[in-house]
Amino acid sequence: MFDFLTHDMLAVIWFFLWCVIWGVYFMVDSFALGVGLLSPFIATDNVQGMQIKRSVGPFWGGNEVWLILAAGGTFAAFPLVFSKMFTFLYLPMMLLLIGLVARGISIEYLHKDDNPLIQKVLTWGWFVGSLLISLVLGVAFANFFKGLEIASGGVYEGTLLGLFGPYALIGGVLFVLMSVTSGALWINIKTEGAISTKAGDLAKKSTLIVLVLALVYLAYSFVGIEGFTGNYSVMPALYLLPVLAIVAAVLSVFFTKKGRGFPAFCSNLLAFLFIVQSGLASIYPYMLKSSVSPEYGIDIFEAASSHLTLSIMLGGALVFVPIVIIYQLWVYTLFKEKIKETEQVDY
Amino acid sequence: MPLTLGLGLLVAVMETIYYKNKDEIWRKMADFWGRIFKINFGIGLVTGLAMTFQFGTNWGSYAEFMGDVFGPPLAVEALLAFFLEGTFFGAWIFLDRNRQKLKAFSMWMVALGTNISSLWIITANGFMQNPVGYEMAADGSKVVMTDFFALLTNSYVWYMLIHTLLSAYLLTAFVIMGICAYHFLKRNNNEVFKKSFSIAVTIALATAVMLPVLGHGYAQYVAALQPAKGAAMDGIWETGSSVPMYLIQVPDSSTGSNSVQLLGIPGLASFLYTGSFSGQITGLNQLPQDILPPVDLVFWSFRLMTILGSLFIIEALIGSYLQKSGKLYTSDKYLKLLMWSIPLPYIAITAGWNVAEIGRQPWLVYGLLKTANGLSSVPSSDVLLSIVLISAFYLILIVFEIYLIKKTVVNATGVE
Repeated sequence: MFDFLTHDMLAVIWFFLWCVIWGVYFMVDSFALGVGLLSPFIATDNVQGMQIKRSVGPFWGGNEVWLILAAGGTFAAFPLVFSKMFTFLYLPMMLLLIGLVARGISIEYLHKDDNPLIQKVLTWGWFVGSLLISLVLGVAFANFFKGLEIASGGVYEGTLLGLFGPYALIGGVLFVLMSVTSGALWINIKTEGAISTKAGDLAKKSTLIVLVLALVYLAYSFVGIEGFTGNYSVMPALYLLPVLAIVAAVLSVFFTKKGRGFPAFCSNLLAFLFIVQSGLASIYPYMLKSSVSPEYGIDIFEAASSHLTLSIMLGGALVFVPIVIIYQLWVYTLFKEKIKETEQVDY
Repeated sequence: MPLTLGLGLLVAVMETIYYKNKDEIWRKMADFWGRIFKINFGIGLVTGLAMTFQFGTNWGSYAEFMGDVFGPPLAVEALLAFFLEGTFFGAWIFLDRNRQKLKAFSMWMVALGTNISSLWIITANGFMQNPVGYEMAADGSKVVMTDFFALLTNSYVWYMLIHTLLSAYLLTAFVIMGICAYHFLKRNNNEVFKKSFSIAVTIALATAVMLPVLGHGYAQYVAALQPAKGAAMDGIWETGSSVPMYLIQVPDSSTGSNSVQLLGIPGLASFLYTGSFSGQITGLNQLPQDILPPVDLVFWSFRLMTILGSLFIIEALIGSYLQKSGKLYTSDKYLKLLMWSIPLPYIAITAGWNVAEIGRQPWLVYGLLKTANGLSSVPSSDVLLSIVLISAFYLILIVFEIYLIKKTVVNATGVE
């Protein structure tokens, strides 16, 4: 299978797919994360709480699988990166795991028990889980773009505190706020009544902040991060990525102002996608860039699995990813109605 | 997790029958057992996630060594199984009864996803037990896959898969019987529990009989493939033919012999291992001493599993008899026994995995990678911190889950 492709070509294709899978994950999970981040603050009563939960209930689980696919895909296509990434960033990954567990359990078990204390714990569990996921991923990706302190012989010299530099913090906050915006716009378009209006108003402010932060983050990347512009000078077409990110963020502000929730929501997702891709485009051919010296980084050719493994997985991905996308979209159409204040069903 | 495998299929069947005949009893059954399924699914989802992460965080060297072989099953599992489960679980929960056809369909997809998922995880585990379809990299640093098909047709995988799925269905049946027994004891002879019991007892009987019958072939296969594990299962120390099997036996690995052995049945061990009463078995003392597993642990786990397995057959037989004769709802002793039996299949399954995994020690991948070499080079303080954190976290979750399930069972939510 795919014998006409060399091993290096397959590695490049897989790097591209890897970027796509991460991009899809950030887009589809952003609104579930954002709704979780907003849930303790935006709902004033149980009716609204239920509306919020129902707006993401049918979707979040399937969306989170994109993260598992990203992790599984890394394991299968670039085992060395998988191992190093988790070993170097051991504690952040544990935080991410705890975030994922807390979020999952909180949504699953919210409203399973009417004890007010348990309700409260779970609502905050949903918030904390969502915060950990978006913050850790934001900080982690900023560090990937900046490079990890990998010294000669692949020895990792970084510390936990060292991961939280100014660039990484901006990245973390940006990821959190993009998710918040995504969640606010989702509530705005998926529900009816007071909560929808409230979320729409909130989005008017948050889209503006996201735009400013995105500008700062991208400017910092291009000016302050060593080696960031390397690929961009070789292939100037890549500049389209950050430009599209800014255009999308501007459109998101614009549509939100006009009260057009759906295009605003989509623009925000695209802004998220292109920001992530702008960073990923800068590190190629490295997957784990070294901030000590480029040659210590782990590149895709070194990390890639065998030709056979890459081809089997490519075949699998080409067949099954479209099928997954089709049935996931189909499920969205099953729940296309807006959630009214009057619908109170027990789950 | 095993409960999810069986219960998902059963709830899918109930949803479908309700869709076909609109009989309220099936809706109630789907509601009640569906509720238990939901609560249980949460934990499965979460532990599955943790496992994926662990491959990187704590088993980093293993991931590097095995990534080429282990990665594809994991990725395919995500693509084929996790997406089905994750996507349709949400749909199933939030679809109301006006769209029963879609609801039933969604549950089938969830059940399909969970069951497919076990195939892939066992494909990976099967490779660790019996590596096939690979070659060592030129520098010996990792294994490289050469034949994906061989990975899938590995006999170990299929023995293990059948055994795992059957034991999961058995566990499901015993959980259902235990819960029904609780209500019969309270003299709540609701039709939902009566019907559920009669389905469960049939499954329990079928799986309890099939497990040892098929398991025997599995054990024979394992003993031939991994002699140390095989000999440890029955604590056979010395090579010999016509080896007896002792009903009461206490192995002692410090002396390399049994400290107690009573009631030997001549030639039975030979027969079970080789199919002939005079067959020869290689004893632990004649095997290379540096690759022996912890014999006591493997022996006792295997004993425990087989004793529990026999108990399951007896309980299922009594249950079918009592139900047919109509005495079930007043047989309080038996009903109490059933209630207390709920944890037993869990124990048996854990014991079974102990035999499979500890029996393979010191190998992580049989014959290729030792367990101690598979760990990540992470500071042990970090590992300790994460173990404490995760254990505490899981403990809370499990307590909470049991609380929710208990509440659902006691209130019989959705049944009245």
